[in-house]
Amino acid sequence: MALALIVPALAVVTLFFVAPLAMSVVVAFRGKGGGITLEHFAKAFDYYSTDLLFTLAIVVLSTLLIGGVAIAIAGYLTLGGNARAVAILRWLYRWPLFIPFVVAGQVMRTFLAKNGMLNHVLIGSGLIEPLSAQSLLDWRGIVIAFVWKQAPFVTLLLAGAMASLETQHIEAARNLGARRLRVLVDIVLPQVRGTLLVGLVLSFVTMLSVLSVPLMINPNSPTMVTVDVAYRINTHGDYPVANALCILSLALSAIGAAFYLRHASRASTAAT
Amino acid sequence: MKLRQFFPLAFFAFAGVVAAQTTLNVVTAGDQNMVDYVNNYLAPKFEAMNPGVKVRAVGTGPGDGGSQKIYEKLSAQQKAGSAEWDVDVAVIHQLASATMVNEKLLMPYRNDISAGKLVSRDTAKNALGANVDGYVLPMFHSQIAFAYNPDLVKSPPKSFVELNEWVKKNPKQFGYNGVKGGMSGVGFVTGWVSAYSGLSEKLEKGPYDATSAAAIDRALLGLKDFNQYVVMTPGNAGTLDMLNRGEIAMGPVWVDMFYTWQADGRLNPKVKLSLPSPGLPGQPMYYVIPAKAAHAALAKKFIELAESPDVQADGIVKQFNWYPGIDPQFVQPKLDQAAWNKLFTDISPADLSKYGRPFPLSPYFKEIVEGYERVVLK
Repeated sequence: MALALIVPALAVVTLFFVAPLAMSVVVAFRGKGGGITLEHFAKAFDYYSTDLLFTLAIVVLSTLLIGGVAIAIAGYLTLGGNARAVAILRWLYRWPLFIPFVVAGQVMRTFLAKNGMLNHVLIGSGLIEPLSAQSLLDWRGIVIAFVWKQAPFVTLLLAGAMASLETQHIEAARNLGARRLRVLVDIVLPQVRGTLLVGLVLSFVTMLSVLSVPLMINPNSPTMVTVDVAYRINTHGDYPVANALCILSLALSAIGAAFYLRHASRASTAAT
Repeated sequence: MKLRQFFPLAFFAFAGVVAAQTTLNVVTAGDQNMVDYVNNYLAPKFEAMNPGVKVRAVGTGPGDGGSQKIYEKLSAQQKAGSAEWDVDVAVIHQLASATMVNEKLLMPYRNDISAGKLVSRDTAKNALGANVDGYVLPMFHSQIAFAYNPDLVKSPPKSFVELNEWVKKNPKQFGYNGVKGGMSGVGFVTGWVSAYSGLSEKLEKGPYDATSAAAIDRALLGLKDFNQYVVMTPGNAGTLDMLNRGEIAMGPVWVDMFYTWQADGRLNPKVKLSLPSPGLPGQPMYYVIPAKAAHAALAKKFIELAESPDVQADGIVKQFNWYPGIDPQFVQPKLDQAAWNKLFTDISPADLSKYGRPFPLSPYFKEIVEGYERVVLK
């Protein structure tokens, strides 16, 4: 009976997730003659090892920045003294959540260009000289787009977790003269560490799979692996190397998954 | 089934049920503008001339993938042994035309229609090295050219060699989109290799020779050096965007996109075009008739109309900014001077026929773009 209940879910997972994944692995390892080969991986490394490292660096850097931004915003929402500023921030920070990656990429493309809006504002306000204006449409553009898009997501989780904390600790620390930053770092953050980690891991994995942002901001070398996968398929019809690249990025996201599972299993042990 | 695939089938089914009149099925690869062109421009004209005939246009998607779908459909009907195929006119890319002629999926028809005598370019006979003589008529030609801002570049480089010197004097003023950001960048790269490998004839006409790889790699090595002095742009539209914002002074673009953007007010009207020696690639789309088209006679009439100087002038050149599929000398008298000037001021018809080149044969093409990643990007 129990088996009958899980059959539909199991079938969906097997049919639409496990089977394609298995196919992808098979294609990545299958040679022209049908035997097992590593040549597609050799080619993937030969052509795209820079891009693999670039992808990892971008995603790790973005994850760290997202963590910083999310802590800052969620911390202010929880501990901020000015009620009006808190209300405005609470209303404002969620906007990017509802904007698709492809739109974020498009917005950044005009915003960060050499003669784009950002540089116009900086030049207009006298902060930089017109000659020193430069285009941010390289790795920096991708990082900015990722942080802009994903920070609100982590903030949402983090602010929720912070709001559900017992306030006595915070009040006690404030009564004893602790400054707000100290309260955030020593009292609040340790208690929401798990939520922060989950949010960051989910962002890490999401960013690894985004094609639209690197494609729109910087599709040239070095670029992210997603662009290379799309390129192998669209231009060359080369599914083996594309699948090899997919498996390599799967290995990257497995790092995130390992973190997530370790946290989840610890949480479930703590709960029992 | 995707909606996109469903609609064509729904159309065919519907057409079958209510066909009190004859329906001419036109299937076109390419972007939506191709479908719009047939539905909104050609169909009304053709239906007015042929009472009782209804034209149905269906799109199969952009790029060679769109042509591949048409090939698969016809191939399936051939294998099933159908006596009548449900596509009367197809519009396809060069790569697919070679395969389809080879597999006897198409009907030779050029000599059956009078407009067949109006074509002059080699593309009417040769598709990336394959002989397609008689089976195709170019609907239009599109061309890659350098767009430049004359305020910043007084006299644009006339050749790839001059360009190479120019970028060293003007670093970061030339921009292109590599090989992963669209065909204008790919075309620039194949143009570069044609110019610097000394193989330009061989790349276009064949036969394929694997020992050419060394010369191609040498040319690409030069491109690697060149790349240090240029800006990489994000895509075909990215090059135009950066030109428009004054971030680069020159870059390779599709000519039809260039004019469309200027007409829409999205590109500085001062920006001009030039075609360097020994040339940049372009490509046509072909009208073809499947070997067992149900309405072959009507299909020929349809293409006759589409290739007529009037339609080529007003539809292809004036409204869609493509270069004509037939010889420009037959099109010019049909256009007012302004429309003609728009298309040919910067690049004269003589330059176009001299420097407008085909893409390399497909094995070379593949070798060049793969070589770009191996040699230039690493």
